[in-house]
Amino acid sequence: MSQIIIQGLLLSGLYALIAVGFTLIFSIGRVLNLAYGAYLMIGGYVYYHFTQVLGLPQIAGILMAAIFGCVIGILKYRLIVKTLKGDHVAVEISTLILAVVIQAGIVLVFNDSSKILHPIVPGVWRIGGATVTFNILTAALASWAILIGLYLFVRNTHIGRAMQAVSMDVKGAAISGVDPDRINLITWGISGALGAVAGVFFASYTQLSPSMWVAPLIIAVAVVIVGGIGSIIGSLIVAHIIGFMEIISTTLIAAELRGVFTMLLIIGVLVMRPRGLFGREEL
Amino acid sequence: MAFLEIEGLSAYYGKARALHNVDIAVEKGEIVAVVGANGAGKSTLLDSIMGLTAIKGDIRLGGESLAGLSSRAIVEQGVGYAPERFNLFPYMSVFDNLMVGAFTARDEADRNLQHVFDLFPRLAERRSQETYTQSGGERQMVSLGRALMTGPRLLLVDEPTIGLAPKVCHDIAESLRRLNGETGLTIVITEQNANFAMSLASHLHILETGELKMSGTADELGSDEELNKAYFGH
Repeated sequence: MSQIIIQGLLLSGLYALIAVGFTLIFSIGRVLNLAYGAYLMIGGYVYYHFTQVLGLPQIAGILMAAIFGCVIGILKYRLIVKTLKGDHVAVEISTLILAVVIQAGIVLVFNDSSKILHPIVPGVWRIGGATVTFNILTAALASWAILIGLYLFVRNTHIGRAMQAVSMDVKGAAISGVDPDRINLITWGISGALGAVAGVFFASYTQLSPSMWVAPLIIAVAVVIVGGIGSIIGSLIVAHIIGFMEIISTTLIAAELRGVFTMLLIIGVLVMRPRGLFGREEL
Repeated sequence: MAFLEIEGLSAYYGKARALHNVDIAVEKGEIVAVVGANGAGKSTLLDSIMGLTAIKGDIRLGGESLAGLSSRAIVEQGVGYAPERFNLFPYMSVFDNLMVGAFTARDEADRNLQHVFDLFPRLAERRSQETYTQSGGERQMVSLGRALMTGPRLLLVDEPTIGLAPKVCHDIAESLRRLNGETGLTIVITEQNANFAMSLASHLHILETGELKMSGTADELGSDEELNKAYFGH
């Protein structure tokens, strides 16, 4: 039981980090960024290249992953989303195509075989009969630190308030002197950086492969659909529901069920409560 | 040269023209009202000043053209706007709504916030309340407060009395008078309630289906029999 609780808490922290960048974009731009999983893939591969190929320190690898993710997010907004402004279907289809193109690019550069990332922090911690790798513990603690930082940023800074404002009323934000286009650009950059850093931790927990963008995308979509229109707090709660569901189903029933209950939850919420469990327009 | 000069203004929603060649001049420190029925183009006029609609013609503030500027740049030029539907941020607190208004005037945020709380003490009492839980009158105060947080030289107020109880309308009018009297702030309001507009403004402009029908002082317009019947109910 203690193993389930501890693993559930740690995995949920990681899932919350995976989902929050996706939630930001959905809240502010009302766009399902289906290329979001590709940020995680890029983050994982950039980290791999800089730390395991070039031998840079891990912190430098994480920083480079964040920078790459941020730049990709900004470019995607400028070149695709802004150009297709208002046509959400076109944006969503194009982001999905972009994810496939990025996957092809990754195969071209790194080939299609899976790669194992060295643990960010090696070792194992035994606590109360449970065994926890330092790697997932570090991932979860870093996730929590990033999420708390993001929460404080959104709640207490002028840019953060402007992000909330744009998510709730674009005209109200514009007449207050906020440039919604600039706020969207900043949000896409932050989302890209968050996704890429989440990708480093996710890849260190699973493995690096050109198809690794699909699973985190499902987690992110589930959090938004189950949680309702993007709320950071709602995302945290739903990430924990999904994280614990995964741990319980894979530990107590069968490892092959990973992801199945998450998808069933998506369908159940879509049928019974389409606005989501915490659906209201906040950030 | 007037403080606000609107010259030959036409505004468009797609191909539809909502304002036709409107000319209005507002002197510094004046309260001016634009009166008209639903669909007359009052909100479009204020939206046009804020850069929210496609326009032809020119709008100048203190001699500087606002035409073609972004809403952000127009706010930085000193225009504050309290729209008819408030356009508040419903799940943010009163304080946070006001602080969004300080986005381009951060250095003056503390002073402007104190000014807003002096003008509307109820907002200070309810600074932590989310605005979706507030009454129409309170939301109107937040909307005006947010506009004042931008540090405006010109305040635009779209239909400040719509849907509000007479006592609240009276309080809003008093606040606008106080703002104008104490700080010399230039104010343009739009109204369907011509009597309210006449009680507040030194000059009125009558707008009908996007065209300026008549302009003048309250006394001048009050003596026009046709207008009296149409707008003032006597």
